[in-house]
Amino acid sequence: MGSSVHKIIVIVGFISLFHSAFSAAQHRSYLRITSQEFTTLPLDIVVQAVVSLFAVMWGVLNVAGNLREIPAAAELNQIKWETQQNLPSFYIFNHRGKALADNYIPSGSGGGKSELENVE
Amino acid sequence: MSVVKLKDNKPEPTPYSEAALRNNAVVVEYCRTSMAALSGSTAGVLGLTGLYGFIFYVFAVVSLWVMFMVKTGPNWSKYYVSRQTLLTNGFFGALFTYVLFWTFIYGMVHVY
Repeated sequence: MGSSVHKIIVIVGFISLFHSAFSAAQHRSYLRITSQEFTTLPLDIVVQAVVSLFAVMWGVLNVAGNLREIPAAAELNQIKWETQQNLPSFYIFNHRGKALADNYIPSGSGGGKSELENVE
Repeated sequence: MSVVKLKDNKPEPTPYSEAALRNNAVVVEYCRTSMAALSGSTAGVLGLTGLYGFIFYVFAVVSLWVMFMVKTGPNWSKYYVSRQTLLTNGFFGALFTYVLFWTFIYGMVHVY
């Protein structure tokens, strides 16, 4: 949500900056037609240009991306015990507990040993 | 003996995360380049010439630095190794971008 607001700030600021550039060009041509000497731009164009510059800079600063915390421990501290405990090598899928399931069908007569050996 | 003690009194160096440092450097570089282009365009629109343009560049660099400080708040040391290098790093590299946009927009607005 915050990022889209800043994108809008960037776009509006760009348009405003273009508008002030256009105003400055028109002011310049007006001076040329009336054969006056250029001294400074009108104050409103100056204010608009500088304010839109700051707006776009602030928008770009927030659009550019999030800063990450640089101490190495900052991200390691976020790891939960559940993440650490999760060891795929120790997963067990075939064990005696499945005999407790309702739909368990005992297979073979030789007992557990041959069954365990045939497990793929 | 006392020398050894002085060495022991040094604060322990904090380990930094390499990936986070690089990520932050990329973000800062992006903002700096954008700032140079935008402030160059603004300087061209305003019709600054000579030394005033360079003063405006310094002003823009400092205001970008202030914006970084505002964004991170009081705990800036979590995000940057030092504030001084954040201010001065890449000053002249971005100056060339600034001058390019400054002269281009000045020509577009004020000359033609």
